[in-house]
Amino acid sequence: MADKVICITSGKGGVGKSTVTANIATALAMKGYKVVAIDADIGLRNLDLVLGLENRIVYDIVHVVEGVVPPEKALVKDKKTKNLYLLPAAQTKDKSAVKPEDLVKIVEELRDKFDFIFIDSPAGIEEGFKTAVTPADTIIVVANPEMASIRDADRVVGLCEAMQKPEPKLVINRLDPKKVARGDMLDVEDVLQVLNLDLLGVVPEDRNMVSYINRGEPAVLFEESIAGKELRNIAERLLGKDVPIPRWSYSESFLDKLKKLFGSE
Amino acid sequence: MGFMDKLKGAFGKPPAKEVAKKRLQLILKYDRAGLPPNAVEAVKEAILKALEEFPFIDTSGVNIHITESENTKGKIEIEVPVKNG
Repeated sequence: MADKVICITSGKGGVGKSTVTANIATALAMKGYKVVAIDADIGLRNLDLVLGLENRIVYDIVHVVEGVVPPEKALVKDKKTKNLYLLPAAQTKDKSAVKPEDLVKIVEELRDKFDFIFIDSPAGIEEGFKTAVTPADTIIVVANPEMASIRDADRVVGLCEAMQKPEPKLVINRLDPKKVARGDMLDVEDVLQVLNLDLLGVVPEDRNMVSYINRGEPAVLFEESIAGKELRNIAERLLGKDVPIPRWSYSESFLDKLKKLFGSE
Repeated sequence: MGFMDKLKGAFGKPPAKEVAKKRLQLILKYDRAGLPPNAVEAVKEAILKALEEFPFIDTSGVNIHITESENTKGKIEIEVPVKNG
């Protein structure tokens, strides 16, 4: 499988990288694939919380780099989803503790044992980001339909190009269909016109998301979650299935209709 | 003011998402070219100054903008119209 090592990144922090990583990884594991999610955000670990595994961590990625344990020994088995494993970040070290070549080596050691390896990148565009992206075959950029997030996503795309990586695929996260319908928020077409990337999925705002994260239970586990449904669809698309992407869009106002009527713009 | 502008005025501001998209498209042009946002204005001023000495050039019609380029980080295009008559 070509798209085996997948790095999830964003530039801007707080756009939902770890949530998207945890959910796609869980969705694929639910389908029977063997999946490992690596938290590459050294010093600011989060992925363990989204998966509800914070109490089960014994070793972390820095122990692996230091040769204390082999990668398999540091993996935390998910408690709810079979076939899902976490390689936690260290909480006490800084980003320089894992170099690009260290992560490449860890990924190589895990490659034959898993169907998918996800790397949750730190925010920013410095060393930690470069480390996270280096081993990846596929890069997913997560962006919110907001100005700062989109600007940062574009920077990340430029850096990936400079690193001679394949062009990232885009996941638009936290799109609020109500704000989009009012014309307050950028819609899917707007974002694509600005960023011009392959769209992998659109995850709508889900008011239950905070409770899923608080409970350490990814949204994809819940049939009723609207975000969970789209996150499961992203997993399907990674498997090569052609699942249509909902295009929540701005509903034309009276003014727009008039514009069309008069043939202007 | 054109008909559409009058109509827009009568019906209120354009939707925020349109403003955001336009701003982003401009910001990203400069970001991608690695230039500060006032770069094109500065180039335009310098060129206008240099063109002043040529009476056959219509300096009021000089058009300068930044676009994407295949081989370089970006491209600054300048249109210099010759005066009629």
